[in-house]
This record gives sequence, structure tokens and C-alpha cells, in this order.
Amino acid sequence: MITKEEIITKRRIFTSYLTTVVSISLVLFLLGLTFLLVLNAKRISDHIKENFGFTVFLKENAKQADINVLQKNFDATSYVKSTEYISKEKAADELKSTLGEDFIEFLGFNPLLSSLDVRLYADYANSDSLQSIEKDFLQYSLVSEVSYQKSLLHLVNENVKKISFILLGFSLLLFLIAFALINNTIRLMVYSKRFIINTMKLIGATRSFIQFPFLIKSTIQGIIGALIAIFMLILVIYFAQNELKDIISLYDFKILGSLFGIVIILGILMCLISTYIAVGKYLSIKSDNLYY
Amino acid sequence: MAEQQIISLENVAIYQQNNLVLENVNFQIKDNEFVYLIGRVGSGKSSLIKTLYAELPLKKGTGNVAGFELHKLKKSQVPYLRRKIGIVFQDFQLLTDRNIKNNLLFVLNATGWTNKAEMQTRIEQVLTLVHLTDKINKMPHQLSGGEQQRIVIARALLNTPEIILADEPTGNLDPESSDIIMNLLKEIQKNDTAIVMATHNYQLLKKFPFRTLKCENFCLTESNSPEELINFEM
Repeated sequence: MITKEEIITKRRIFTSYLTTVVSISLVLFLLGLTFLLVLNAKRISDHIKENFGFTVFLKENAKQADINVLQKNFDATSYVKSTEYISKEKAADELKSTLGEDFIEFLGFNPLLSSLDVRLYADYANSDSLQSIEKDFLQYSLVSEVSYQKSLLHLVNENVKKISFILLGFSLLLFLIAFALINNTIRLMVYSKRFIINTMKLIGATRSFIQFPFLIKSTIQGIIGALIAIFMLILVIYFAQNELKDIISLYDFKILGSLFGIVIILGILMCLISTYIAVGKYLSIKSDNLYY
Repeated sequence: MAEQQIISLENVAIYQQNNLVLENVNFQIKDNEFVYLIGRVGSGKSSLIKTLYAELPLKKGTGNVAGFELHKLKKSQVPYLRRKIGIVFQDFQLLTDRNIKNNLLFVLNATGWTNKAEMQTRIEQVLTLVHLTDKINKMPHQLSGGEQQRIVIARALLNTPEIILADEPTGNLDPESSDIIMNLLKEIQKNDTAIVMATHNYQLLKKFPFRTLKCENFCLTESNSPEELINFEM
């Protein structure tokens, strides 16, 4: 038999339970967003670096067959991501449209060299590797010149480093804030039960017997909070998908999996640690000190 | 069965946050005795009772309660000492977030009962003793003070304790409820359970005379004449 009173009590307990879970999930959601950025930071920087290429100019007398062989040789190396052959004529067309002027007519001949646009894997897009790669390329007899923007590369690398540090610092800070907020929420919940904890102590329950249900409950709260946070993250990724096509998609199971894993584990851990400390505090405290 | 001392304190000094409240406490209580503990407010009745259930540590002297040596008691042993003692509080100390049945179930679970049928039977037994079987599904706040106190006594009886410690159990109750509680405690004492009851209700002492210990001027003394007690009250 369930009385009306019991239903009201249950609803009130559920409401306070819900409030705790919602605060936990909001904090975890923010944390998840930052981790999404951190996890993607490498991909974003790789994306930038891999769009950074250099141009290998070929000698005037290079034959098409030799060029094809050279291109295949380049493609076969471990550091080249892709190559694109740009013929003399194509280069001239491109320059023409840039200049808006038919310079060939003006000059009487095409002074441009045919070239290979080489894009490297992100791991090799740093000045040291580039120098040795440049040397390698210059050994080919067909190659006349290798050109890339040293300063731009330097700038990209510096900025990526800076941004990674800022992002890392920011996420650490957010992590601390998250822990403080969750800790606070849980401490309030445990505080509201301090007299009950004291009573349990007085009637002969052991520490672990009192603590266990609190830990179970907070684990469940952590899991539910994390699931809500994950649901919100999925929504955000879904709606931002068009804007961030190259960076994240819902089908990126590896990154999303680790992100969701981190959110769940952090949710449970933070709740467990906070509960353990808070309940432990009220288990050790003298009953005279419960009132203030 | 030969009478045994269930509580014995020797040369005990009791401190409440570094303030001395009682000195040179020496007394023994037999395993079927009913003992009053009287004294003015702040005379150390509650502190003495708290020492008996190890809420206050015994720093000076030696004490033995239900086979536990208070002066050597480790924190981890405290729960096991409390299982041998039934404690009745002035402010009830029921678990306010659950109904009577779950209050009693919690104690049984906490003290190692596992058989559900046995637990159910035991709960019915103690509730019958205090005549409150019909309140089993109520929340504590739905009961009157007297009823709550009877539930607390029922809870204290769950594990058939060797001692009942009652700290002003009638302090919040009207005379009628007080009489009910006293008769209950008397019944319990008849079944070979020692009862130590702190009180400042001197009418009760007249109505239900038992051995009386008096806290006064930092000392605990035996006091046997009711007249003296009445004078003390004046």
C-alpha cells in the first residue's frame, strides 16, 4: 500500500536527486567540450600542416615519362602524403588568372617551369625534416629548385604549440573547476544527511556499512550525469557537423569513443572521491560538531 | 545464572572538550539492574552516558562495558560495542528519511542479519512489545513524540542488548507517555537487561523507585533515600 504522503516524499527525494544529477551533467558536458577540443587539437594542427606543401620545380628539359617516374618515387617515400603535377601550361594559366594579364603574349614565351606540388604528412612539417627532405629532392637530376615558405612554416608550428599549451592549461583549469563544483554539490547532499549518518553510527553500523550505499548512489549519479552530458555532446557535434566537417564527425568512433569514455570515467571518479571524502568527514566528526 | 557486572568504571575522569565534568567515578552495574542517573543540567549525566557508548573517549581510568574495555577501545570496535547496547535518546535519533520498518531493517542489516523472514519476525516482535505494530509503514515525523520514543526503544531491543542506555528518554514527553515508557523499560529490565537511565524527572523516581546515582560537584555518588532526592530537587 502506497500512501499519498509516501508518493510526495519520493517525489521530493527524486527532485533533489535530479538537481544533483543535472549539475553533475552540466559540468561534465563543459569538460567534454574541452576534451573534444583537446582530442581534436592534433587533428586540427595536422590539418593545417598537411595543407602546407612545397613546390619542386623541374628542369626545362624534363620528359613527361621521367616526371611520372619522379612523381611515383616521391609518392613512395614515407613522408609524402600527396603530389600533384603542374605542367608549364597549367602554371601559366594559373598565373594568368592571378595577374589578369596575358604575360606570355607580352614576353613572347612561357618562362615558367613545370613543377610538382608536394604535400607532406604532418609529422614531417617542421623545419628540420623539411631541410633534409629538400636535400633528398635536390639529388634528383630532374629537380632544379625546391621552394617553400620557411617563415610561414615556423609561424604555423609556433602557433600550434602556443594554442596547445593554452588549450591544455584551460582544460586543466576547467577540470579543477568541474571537480570543485561536483565536490560542492555532493558535499551539500551529504551535509543534508549528516544527522542520519550520525544516527547510523550510534546504532552500531560500521563505517563501511554506512559509506557503501552513499558510494553506490553517487556512482549511479555519476553514470547518469555522464550519460546526459554525452547526449548533449552528441547533439552539439550533430549540429556543428556542417561547420566542422574536416574536424569532427559523428562517425569518428575512435575519438568519440575515447571522449565518451573519459566523460563517464571522470563522472564516476569525481562523484566517488567527493562522496568518499564527504561521508568520511561526517563519520569521523563528533556529534557535538554537527550543528554548525 | 549468577549476577555479573555488566558495567564497571574505576577512577574514571570524564572530560567534555577538555573541561572536567566528573572525577573519580567508581561504580558497578549488575546485568539485571535498573539504575537512575540524576543531576542538574550540565552535571555530566549525558557525558557519562556518552562515555559508556564510546561517543566520548575514556582518557583517564578504566572502564568495562559488556565485555569491552573502554580505555583500550579502538575506533573500529566502537560499532560492535554499540551492538551490545541499546541506546535510547532524548531526541529519538530515528532515520528521518525512511519509514519505521526501514528504520528497523537498517539496524538489522547493519548488524549482520541476513534472513529476511527472521528479520520480519524480529521487527514484528519488537513492535508488539511497544504496541506499535500498526505504525510500521509510517514515517517518523508522522508519529507523536511518545510513539517515536517507543519506536526508539523497539529499535534498541532489536539485537537483544545486554544494556539499555537511556539519556532522558522522557525528556520530551508528557506524563502519560512517560509512564508508558517507564513501564516498558521495567518490563525490559525484568528480562535480565541492565538499564541506565539519565533523568531529571523526579516524579518518575518517586513512582518507580530504583537504585539512583547522583552527579553533583564533579562527583558521582550513590543516593538511596527518596526524600533526599526530593530535597535535592527543591
